[in-house]
Amino acid sequence: MMRWRVVKAVATTTFREFWRSPDAVFWTYGFPLMMAVVLGFSFQPAPPPPVPVAVVAGARAGDLAASLRRNDRLLVEVLDAASADTALARGRVALVVRQGEVGVPIVRSDPTRAEADVARLLVEKALAPPSQYPAPVIASEVEDRPGARYIDFLIPGLVGLNLLGAGMWGIGFNLVQLRIQKLLRRLFVTPMRHGEFLFGFLLGRGILVLPEAFAIVLFGHLLWGVPFRGSPFAFLLLVGAGGLAFTGLGCLLASRVRSIEAIAGLMNLFQLPMWLLGGTFFGNERLEGVVRWAAEAMPLTHLNRALRDVILGPAGVVDVLIPATGLLGFAAVCFAVALRMFRWT
Amino acid sequence: MTDPSSEFAIELSGLRKTYRRGKKVTVAVDGLDLAVRRGEVFGLLGPNGAGKTTTVEVCEGLTVPDSGTVRVLGREWRAGRHDELRDRIGVCLQETKFHEKATVREIVQLFAACYVRGRTVDDVLQVVSLQEKAAARESTLSGGQRQRLAVATALVGEPELLFLDEPTTGLDPQSRRQLWDVVRSFKAGGGTVVLTTHYMDEAQQLCDRIAIVDHGKVIALGTPAELITSLGAEHFVEIDVDAFDGRLAAADLARLPDVQKCEIAGARAVLTVGSVHTVVPVLLRTLADRGVELRGLATRHATLEDVFVHLTGRHLREDSR
Ligand SMILES: Nc1ncnc2c1ncn2[C@@H]1O[C@H](COP(=O)(O)OP(=O)(O)OP(=O)(O)O)[C@@H](O)[C@H]1O
Ligand SMILES: [Mg+2]
Repeated sequence: MMRWRVVKAVATTTFREFWRSPDAVFWTYGFPLMMAVVLGFSFQPAPPPPVPVAVVAGARAGDLAASLRRNDRLLVEVLDAASADTALARGRVALVVRQGEVGVPIVRSDPTRAEADVARLLVEKALAPPSQYPAPVIASEVEDRPGARYIDFLIPGLVGLNLLGAGMWGIGFNLVQLRIQKLLRRLFVTPMRHGEFLFGFLLGRGILVLPEAFAIVLFGHLLWGVPFRGSPFAFLLLVGAGGLAFTGLGCLLASRVRSIEAIAGLMNLFQLPMWLLGGTFFGNERLEGVVRWAAEAMPLTHLNRALRDVILGPAGVVDVLIPATGLLGFAAVCFAVALRMFRWT
Repeated sequence: MTDPSSEFAIELSGLRKTYRRGKKVTVAVDGLDLAVRRGEVFGLLGPNGAGKTTTVEVCEGLTVPDSGTVRVLGREWRAGRHDELRDRIGVCLQETKFHEKATVREIVQLFAACYVRGRTVDDVLQVVSLQEKAAARESTLSGGQRQRLAVATALVGEPELLFLDEPTTGLDPQSRRQLWDVVRSFKAGGGTVVLTTHYMDEAQQLCDRIAIVDHGKVIALGTPAELITSLGAEHFVEIDVDAFDGRLAAADLARLPDVQKCEIAGARAVLTVGSVHTVVPVLLRTLADRGVELRGLATRHATLEDVFVHLTGRHLREDSR
């Protein structure tokens, strides 16, 4: 039986300690919003950028360059042979064109580079005589509808990533800090129960997680029109389950550690792979082999997918029940082990 | 269960605690027996590393001993839940860093919330003279104020038994005396106090009984007066002369009536004596007879420090004399 009075006292003290450290508040809550803004603006939907190609200086190089420039998807510069080779080697141009002995221009590129093929096609099209110009068989348009852009992909991922950061650093790191300053020992000799302390601590630290998750989604909506198509309850459920999962992991990692270096190392060990492979910045469904296995084992992967289903697709509570239950189960195991192993002194 | 009729607040017997770090084994407490009576201020006096903190933390239920029995307020720590016992004790650890962004009042409130009974926050702040600092953040407190805050958190649950581990280390003389007053008034209210210190004056002034601890064992136990009397001589006479130069040996002075012991180092001699007024006239005459010129004379009462030196051949603190 927990005494609410004690839980509240711990939660209030913990919350105040956090709220009164503006730097901690910024890095926990301001930073993810900032990252959303920066990434959101750098990945605006736009027509593809022009492809740079080099024309080797020499007889009739000017004519060649002029014909290539007719295609506005090509960025053409005339270079001497040596500079053109260097530019190709460094990847500053996708391809080098020179006037051949027998009339047809010769195109040189490194086919292992992704942009080489595109450049070849563009050059070919530019040099074809207008009579051979095929009538267009397709018309293209840029995918910029809300819900399908990179920013739409990113925003749910940032919600997930933020839960990861808040849960692991906010809880794990600070527990170790309290242990180092011997405050845990001091609390241990009061009639405060372990559960009361941990619950109060989680409340005090976690109370801001919910508004933060909503803030990220709201930001995305106001700045870029990122939609919210699913059920808000499903969103709440996922934020709660995800928050608990990462908090549990944070508690578990912090349950015995007695130095800042050790907890920082442990956190990084678990966080870095999730940052890279957890499906926040790019989809992890097409990874292969061990990496794929690792990605599938990460709570963040499942949280992010479910969050995308809710935010971008019209998923409801029932649709996210499986990942939510998985996350809650993960949290329960972490907490159970953490409580057993917990070191107060 | 609780046995209110018990005369003792704490009973320790055969207490042993060793720390292992790799191959290195430190015996912190080595078969220690102790009984603290209800209503007394009991002091553990000993040099650094003597095992005071370890002993106290075993009593607080923080450290599990390797062997030995521990009864606190008639109960043992081993049995299950301890809330009831924890409600009755107050603890001030040797070092605790409280929440630095919290104010003094908020910190005391946090602790107050844990206890069933308790004094009001204002009341304890008054007791430790921190009322003016109630709204100050912990990070802005001085060392002495932090120490008093720690004592306030120990008092707020209105404990029967108070543990203070070196409560006055690093405090200025005025703050120390303030803390002594806190301890005295707590005792006057019927409380029992266990405190550790390596200040012998503190032990002498404040404690009803003292255990001198060294290398994890109690090497002497009693009231301050008893411990000093156990030396067999309660005063010291120190003389400075031009030079002894073989004109007078330590053995000669030790043979004088009522002198227990004499040590000579250079041009200074320290005599351990029963009473100053019988020794000094004889001493002066002897010096004059041998043609030794007296340049200085001082007498002082024996202290617990002398008891410790007598028992171990060492000083309590490296920096004392
Ligand atoms: N956690 C620990 N790990 C290893 N050794 C320890 C530990 N705690 C105490 N010791 C050792 O046990 C011995 C007794 O320590 P303790 O802290 O009880 O001494 P103390 O009398 O309180 O000393 P002080 O006056 O310096 O506070 C010391 O030699 C100390 O180094
Ligand atoms: Mg100590």
